[in-house]
Amino acid sequence: MENAVASKLNVLLVDDSRTVLAQLERILADIPDLAIVGMACDGAAAIRMANESKPDLVLLDIVMPGLDGLSALRTIKSMHPEIRVAMVTSVSGDAARVEEAFRLGACQVIGKPFEVDSIESLVEAVRRDRAETTVDSD
Amino acid sequence: MAVRFFGQYLIERGEVDASHIREALLLMDAENPEVGQLAVERGFMRPRDVSRVNAEQRNRDMPFGDLAVEMGLLASPQLVAILKDQRARRLLIGEALVRLGHVAKDRLGVLLDAYKADQARFDVDANRARVLPDGLASRDVTAHVLDLLPRFMFRVARIHAKVGEIMPFDGAPDFAEVRVSLPIRGARSLEVALASDFPFAEALAKAASGLDPRELDPEMVADGVGEFLNVLCGNAASAGAGAGSRVELGTPDYEAELCDGWRVELAVGVGRAALVLSPF
Repeated sequence: MENAVASKLNVLLVDDSRTVLAQLERILADIPDLAIVGMACDGAAAIRMANESKPDLVLLDIVMPGLDGLSALRTIKSMHPEIRVAMVTSVSGDAARVEEAFRLGACQVIGKPFEVDSIESLVEAVRRDRAETTVDSD
Repeated sequence: MAVRFFGQYLIERGEVDASHIREALLLMDAENPEVGQLAVERGFMRPRDVSRVNAEQRNRDMPFGDLAVEMGLLASPQLVAILKDQRARRLLIGEALVRLGHVAKDRLGVLLDAYKADQARFDVDANRARVLPDGLASRDVTAHVLDLLPRFMFRVARIHAKVGEIMPFDGAPDFAEVRVSLPIRGARSLEVALASDFPFAEALAKAASGLDPRELDPEMVADGVGEFLNVLCGNAASAGAGAGSRVELGTPDYEAELCDGWRVELAVGVGRAALVLSPF
């Protein structure tokens, strides 16, 4: 049981739209061995919750009121480089902003409206990355 | 289905990973000359003038070249020549990935063709911009908003929509029970508002969130409309602003005051809806 819990992928969802949070929650509910550890609606709450729950993956919106997603990404990656952060945004065609996200350490940028496949592929990639990191550190 | 950057497309296809993109961006930073550097190379500016512009940029959110012209340190034709030279010499992300050995040289062309085919879904009807009223700012972004709306409406909510004629704004539609707007800021800013009756807004929000209608309170319905506008305007602004232009998208206003501008009636499969486009 302990192993089963440890192997679960813990995910934090961050978006100022309740609609997007509901969409993501619905998609992730169908993926086995995954737990949503929290939902936040701005960058400041995302940083606080990332500190508290240390998720494996954060799905983070870019355009939000208050502290935006890129600022939150910078802080989360500086404090917890091991946390994978994927940006989920409607401005994924804005090359300058997408480049900035990658420079700050994002593992992927997913455009809205997103496909279920994109989220599933991301989760798989993060699982593989986590497994490789665990083997390396062993 | 979204407008996306080539590097992101390659990650989604499993061709490269984020660390490869970061390496390529570092190589591009090292090799791509900046406007100030090119201006000095060509003898248009002195290094100390470049420093003055860089210092001023800390106070003004303007591209280097535009600011240098405004400060009288560079002539407009010189800036045009520099930007042309910069484009010609620019190392692009695909080429950078090839140089670093992350993408095979003979594969790059195939991937670029596939990427262009994928993004062709966001090409707009070439006639659309031509028929927009005179005086409507952000014509390219507006053309994308109008052209992408039916595609995203169907993709997000499976609602068929047809964009009607663009008329001068003559007051809020009498059916406008839900009014949500979202600003696109840039050299020519545009506020896009979606005004609709409740049945349309509820259908959109239900499809967008996947929630049961019993879980949809009025706030959540407005949020669903706002998220649709966010998706539409984000993609339209990205595709319509042009390469190198930064898109400043605001957050939705759920109690939008509809402003002067243009009104576009939407023929939709459920309820009634209209777009209001207001340059600001």
